[in-house]
Amino acid sequence: MQIIRRMLVACTAALLFLPGCGGSDSSTGPTPTRVIAVASGDGETAVVVGSVTLGARLTDGAGAPVQGAEVTWSVVSGGGSINPTSTTDAAGVATATFALGQVAGPQRARATASGVSSPAAFTVTAVAGPASQLTKSTGDGQSGYAGSPLALPYAVLAQDQYNNPVAGVTVNWTVTSGGGSLSAPTSVTSTAGAATVVHTLGPSVTAQTVTAAAPSIAGSPVTFSSTGAVGIQLVSTVPVPANYGLHDTYVRDGLAFLCVWDEGIFIYDIGNGVAGGTITAPRFVSSVKTAGGNVHNAWWYHAPGGSKRYLFVGEEGPGSVGSASSGSIHVVDVSNLAAPVEVGSYTLAGAGAHNVWVDEVNEILYAAFYNGGVVALDVSGTLPANLATRELARIRPGGDGNTYVWGVMQYQGDIYASDMLSGFWRLRYAAGSFSIVGGGNNVPERYTSDLWAHNGYGYTGGWGYRGAQAGNALKVWQLGTGAPALVDSVITSGITTVSDVQVSADGKLLVFSTENGPNAGLHVHSLAGSPGHPTPLTRYLVSQGLHTATVETIAGRTYVFAARNPASPALLIFDITSLTP
Amino acid sequence: MLLAALPATLRAQGGSPSATLAARGILVGTWVSRTPLGGDQAEVRLVQPMLMAHATAYDRHLRVTGTVDFEAWTIPDGELTIGMWGEGFVDRRHPHTIIHELVASGVGQVGSATVSLSGGKGFAAFGSDDPANRLTLRYPVNHHWSQLLERAVLTGGVLTGPVMLEVSLFNGDEPAYPEQAPNFGRFGDSWSTRLTVFPVHGLQVEASYASVQSPEHRDGSGTGQDKWHASGQWTRPLAGRPFYAMAEWARTTEGDGLFSYQSLLAEGSWDVGRTRLYYQFERTDRPEEERIFGQPTRSIRPHIEDATLGTTTWTLNTAGAGYDLTAGGGDLRLRPFVEVSYASVALSGPGVFDPVAWYGGTDFWGVSLGVTVGLGRTAFTHLMGRYGVAEDAMERTRAPHHH
Repeated sequence: MQIIRRMLVACTAALLFLPGCGGSDSSTGPTPTRVIAVASGDGETAVVVGSVTLGARLTDGAGAPVQGAEVTWSVVSGGGSINPTSTTDAAGVATATFALGQVAGPQRARATASGVSSPAAFTVTAVAGPASQLTKSTGDGQSGYAGSPLALPYAVLAQDQYNNPVAGVTVNWTVTSGGGSLSAPTSVTSTAGAATVVHTLGPSVTAQTVTAAAPSIAGSPVTFSSTGAVGIQLVSTVPVPANYGLHDTYVRDGLAFLCVWDEGIFIYDIGNGVAGGTITAPRFVSSVKTAGGNVHNAWWYHAPGGSKRYLFVGEEGPGSVGSASSGSIHVVDVSNLAAPVEVGSYTLAGAGAHNVWVDEVNEILYAAFYNGGVVALDVSGTLPANLATRELARIRPGGDGNTYVWGVMQYQGDIYASDMLSGFWRLRYAAGSFSIVGGGNNVPERYTSDLWAHNGYGYTGGWGYRGAQAGNALKVWQLGTGAPALVDSVITSGITTVSDVQVSADGKLLVFSTENGPNAGLHVHSLAGSPGHPTPLTRYLVSQGLHTATVETIAGRTYVFAARNPASPALLIFDITSLTP
Repeated sequence: MLLAALPATLRAQGGSPSATLAARGILVGTWVSRTPLGGDQAEVRLVQPMLMAHATAYDRHLRVTGTVDFEAWTIPDGELTIGMWGEGFVDRRHPHTIIHELVASGVGQVGSATVSLSGGKGFAAFGSDDPANRLTLRYPVNHHWSQLLERAVLTGGVLTGPVMLEVSLFNGDEPAYPEQAPNFGRFGDSWSTRLTVFPVHGLQVEASYASVQSPEHRDGSGTGQDKWHASGQWTRPLAGRPFYAMAEWARTTEGDGLFSYQSLLAEGSWDVGRTRLYYQFERTDRPEEERIFGQPTRSIRPHIEDATLGTTTWTLNTAGAGYDLTAGGGDLRLRPFVEVSYASVALSGPGVFDPVAWYGGTDFWGVSLGVTVGLGRTAFTHLMGRYGVAEDAMERTRAPHHH
């Protein structure tokens, strides 16, 4: 008990005379007698390993400068150094030299003195010195499809001698082997010190190199190397007369029927044997110029009875989108492939033909006739010179002023039509008349171009500018039992037109051609994951654009027969087999 | 060949050769209230910079006319304008070819008639004078409906009394860019004729027809055009002051009549002292075609398919005033001017082209402020596009140069 009493007395005495004993209540302690504050140097910027003079002002409780006092300096962060002490002058200011560390960024120091409750804090921003080294960062050693951009950009890093990133360094990029192109000839390093470029591989399937150079910097040039894998491989080029060029190609039984506007049909042997041609070396067989000559597309009709006598040729004459068109369907007898001859035609007054599709089982030709809508013709038996008597039905699905049908296709018994004005339609032909199953007026923002149907999905392209909206969309539709339902769109920048659309026979590749813009050419998407959601695989750019792309599987390989526009129009045959997922 | 066409006496005679050389250009700032997809636009350009030469020999029986145009360098992407159309440019005037014209003519007498044969690169005998030789800075929309120029051309002319008849053979293709020469392989696939009557001094009445093959496709596979043109021109003083008036009608059909474009244009000027006041009214159809990606003032050449979106009709009123700073003569001529245009556009007939979507509206204002600079005595009188007998006849009703 006596011990406890003594402790209480002692503690009471301590509370009266000693600050902080037994507790942390500072309100009961003495107030600081001095204050130290930043005088100069805080917030300044300097190159790493450079120096900055810091100043701290010491004042007494009344705010008067304290002369001759010792100020203690210390580095808080950044790895630099500073004078440990200095003495205040008549103004109460003490200075110290802050030698910055090697790391760019904020570096901190502080000053304190006797009788001061809190130190003065200084922050100096250290910036990188001049770039002295260029190093490879990311993107090297990729593999991509020849002719396509690599998945990742090449990146180099510009650093100073202490490895700090240096911004604002211009890097010159050069393709040094393999061809190809770069997204830009130069790029400038960012605040992270990185400069990047995207390499579109050349046609070579070997290693392709690109160098990045920055003058007078160690390590420059930096070389990146990537390997081109076979993607879209051009295997043959067949020039056509340089008028309006090639519009479309129909391929069957080892023959390619080239539809050359103003020149006629040109038949090439690509493996049929009639002229010894192959895919890689097509051989000319013959040509025929149908009346009018504006040959646009063709279909070599194989009748149920085995006859292969007729080739149907669509001609596209002058027209005005939405209101007028011209051109007929011509019938060419190709019994003698060496001497084809026109034997008949069908003309729809006031309208012109575009794409056709033949239901060979039921011997019905369906033709898109622009402002004339869709026409069904009976093509059974021996055809007369004038097929007007063979007309079975016609329909203008969009109605007056809203019909301009680009293409038709038969799929699972119904007829699908793409109308430039009114979009994607599902029609049905039965008992001598058409009916509308569903769809239409479903692409108001763009002109609709070509179509294809496969895997339960439809795919439509776009054409030109509708107002300010380019036709750069490929639309994906689910084909159920009624109207097509839009489920996805693929937008291709740098074009105005998706000119032709087709799915490979195995349903795994979606191929479309594009025109008018820097990304014109051949585009291939994968449908392996989901036919309703194409994913891009690669592309092959053709500056003139490709007007059509016909996909055919021949001897187990997948080829695209593409029509290159003027100037230098030609049939380009691509092997895309390696792209098949 | 031309020399051989001259009478032997003339060839032996030699005559007294003469030549003139002049230059002209217009430094102008232009503002237009609506441009395709781009709102207002303004620019300053040197337009119509030309070097013009004319030489004669054998007492004017042999003549050579030449004009070199430098617009390939001063307006490679065309000139800002309202509603202009041609050679792939839309809403901008295309630069002309560098050798705008270079034509030699032999002129002789056959009885009471004056006859001529002219050949070279230049204008075919069709329509009215080139807009560069008329009143307004702004080229009319109908430039390609009312003139046929920059072709390899052979023109025969007969002038007897008040009647002149010209016939031209030429290549149908329009040049697609300033450095492009005519497709000489197509020479003669197109022809034109122009009948001009001068009933009284200062008045001319003209009617023309032309058959032009594939003007928009160089290799000749495009659709052809049939062109008609008629005009009347009056150049006599009014109230004692120089006065000029001209009215023209033009019609071009293409694709066997599938497309038809018409134009009406009237213009006049009146000089008050050193100030020239002028006005032009125009109502002209033009085709609307698919434009090039990223270049909304260019259309695709050659067409790779039917790319016509419809026909629009442009109605324009243009008024201006120019002042001759150096009317006293001398080789340097300066003519500052101001020109204001108001225009409207509407879709003519069926088609899918939507002017509102494309321009953001259908009415346009354009203002130009500039100065025409001429060097040489003939800087403003060089007669472009008239060769042989037409050169002589035009002296009867010379139209004033603009501003």
